[in-house]
Amino acid sequence: MTESVVIVKGDAGVHARPAMMLVKEAMKYARCSVALIRGGVEADCKSIMSVLGLAIVSGSKLTVRADGDGEREAVKNIVAMIENNFKDKN
Amino acid sequence: MEECEAKIFIADFLGDTGRIDLKIRLVAGEKGVNKLITVPDINRPGLTLAGFYDFFAFDRIQIFGLGETAFMRQMSDEQKEKTYGRFFSYDVLCCIFTHEESPDRVFMEYANRNNVPVFVTSKGTTRFISTLMHLLDEAFAPTVTLHSTLVDVYGIGVLLMGKSGVGKSECALELIERGHRFVADDMVVVKRIDESLLMGGGNPLLLHYMEIRGIGIINIKDIFGIRSVRNRKRIELAVMLEEWDSTKIYDRLGLEESMHKILDIDVPFITIPVRPGRNIPIIVETAALNQRLKKLGTHSARELDESLKNLIGSGKSEK
Repeated sequence: MTESVVIVKGDAGVHARPAMMLVKEAMKYARCSVALIRGGVEADCKSIMSVLGLAIVSGSKLTVRADGDGEREAVKNIVAMIENNFKDKN
Repeated sequence: MEECEAKIFIADFLGDTGRIDLKIRLVAGEKGVNKLITVPDINRPGLTLAGFYDFFAFDRIQIFGLGETAFMRQMSDEQKEKTYGRFFSYDVLCCIFTHEESPDRVFMEYANRNNVPVFVTSKGTTRFISTLMHLLDEAFAPTVTLHSTLVDVYGIGVLLMGKSGVGKSECALELIERGHRFVADDMVVVKRIDESLLMGGGNPLLLHYMEIRGIGIINIKDIFGIRSVRNRKRIELAVMLEEWDSTKIYDRLGLEESMHKILDIDVPFITIPVRPGRNIPIIVETAALNQRLKKLGTHSARELDESLKNLIGSGKSEK
């Protein structure tokens, strides 16, 4: 299990589009469970409704937790995505 | 699965709470309504007003009934100043006066100064306390958020579990189409209301929304109408949907009952293997009906087993 804590920056928080980006990234790791935890509530990062339901506002402290094949990479990429404020890498 | 800690504010109990209206109105100390309730108990401050401050549970909700108000009424202004001064020197959470008895001016002044919300209710003391305790118990019930889907199938709350993409939402959609009622998708908030009762509901933000791959987010209430949804439902059956694994042995008899623990409560549990061509919603429907039968005392697998045993025992089987 790999875990990392990240603070959500930017003004908008995680609304529909950033949530979709997170889910897309998590879906790449088919044999790995990815979870986002905010304030004791755990959401499956592969489910868009779950991520939206966390209502992640700017400034929220998020724990990214992955368990399975490629967990390190999954956590690294998702944390990077949040840190880059959901801007495309390219 | 992570248990989350409840944060309950006084303001949560104002107005209609969704199920029960406490019928309280604020008369003083408005600035304090955003205080956190930390103890799900109440206190009758009769002894405290009389000057006995040992064990004064100031962090609980203080209920002033007819006795307390009568005692306060017979005090002189001087006594009031002294009594209230001491009473409010503690960090009192909030005060509620029953029987439509408003507190006196001095009390209100102290409450305003110390930001202690004061409420008045038209209800009688005992009735009010029992209602309030019911709401507090529910608010403070241990809670967990599960990644699953909850549907009311023939009156049985069926929790559909399984990995993302196994088809929980699609299964729920078909069940709704067949006339069953949808509670929550993807994020089910489960509360242990009682030692034997698990209540499942949705996240207030996601209420009645569902994501179907290929369509996107849809609102079940708008598409299928009000009769296709409900806000909460007791969880009585947990169904795990999983990809068919040819090496795994699935239950063929149903003689043994497996259980799945949610918040330390055992919920009847079945695993349904998913494979193209298997109509999962009909299997879930049948499982729910079977669960109802079991609840009413009819156990199909055991009945057949009993008949078989009788037949074998009497030696009547054809040779």
